[in-house]
Amino acid sequence: MELAEPFEMTQPAISQHLKVLEDAGLIVQRIDGTKRPRRLAKPGIEAMDRWLAMLRKAIERNYDRLDEVLAGMEENKRGKKR
Amino acid sequence: MSKMTLKTEGDRYLIVTRRFAASPEAVYRAHTDAKLVQQWLLGPKGWTMPVCINEAKPGGKIRYEWSNGKGGGFYLTGEYLELEPYRRIVHVERMHLPDPTPDNHVETRFEADGTGTLMTMRMTLPDAQTRAGMLATNMERGMEASYVRLEGMNWFGGKAPDHGSAAG
Repeated sequence: MELAEPFEMTQPAISQHLKVLEDAGLIVQRIDGTKRPRRLAKPGIEAMDRWLAMLRKAIERNYDRLDEVLAGMEENKRGKKR
Repeated sequence: MSKMTLKTEGDRYLIVTRRFAASPEAVYRAHTDAKLVQQWLLGPKGWTMPVCINEAKPGGKIRYEWSNGKGGGFYLTGEYLELEPYRRIVHVERMHLPDPTPDNHVETRFEADGTGTLMTMRMTLPDAQTRAGMLATNMERGMEASYVRLEGMNWFGGKAPDHGSAAG
């Protein structure tokens, strides 16, 4: 209920979103009387962080390699002119 | 200190910028000439691109196949939508892992920047619902499996969706 307050969404819609997050391992819920408090699931969030870091590294590596390819193209061009 | 930036714009775009010490013409060619693409768009060490089809014309096909040399691999297909030589490329692409990811719409610009080039790549992310679905699917299969896929993941994109939603 409290989680739904800031959003212009129905309670069932919010529950649906929370379920996706829970199934994805990003939040966990516990039962506290009639309340269902949720918190972030640390392992899930950390796994995502690691994944993002690896992704960034893979892209950076591509562009570092592209730097070398470009340098090679430049050399070829100069070679031909000579 | 990295020369590359990667950030989300709103919740629909992922923007990558990178500067290169070469002319826009050279950087553009390195993105559209299959023989050149094959040399750098490889992701992590140990991966190669045995198949590289790049028909740089509107409607032209893109197909990149990667291999880790140990029987592992995956591929990407796409189509060119617009090409303005040495300035701008618009294409769509999807990764096959082997299930295809949602189409990723990509606009890549090359601008002269001093003696070099500033490249700006703008990827359009799927809507929130699709992203949530993908995220759930990935988690179901286990993060480990995602890492294995990511090992070959090389960027032009298909995984941008998870990325954008996570970073944003």
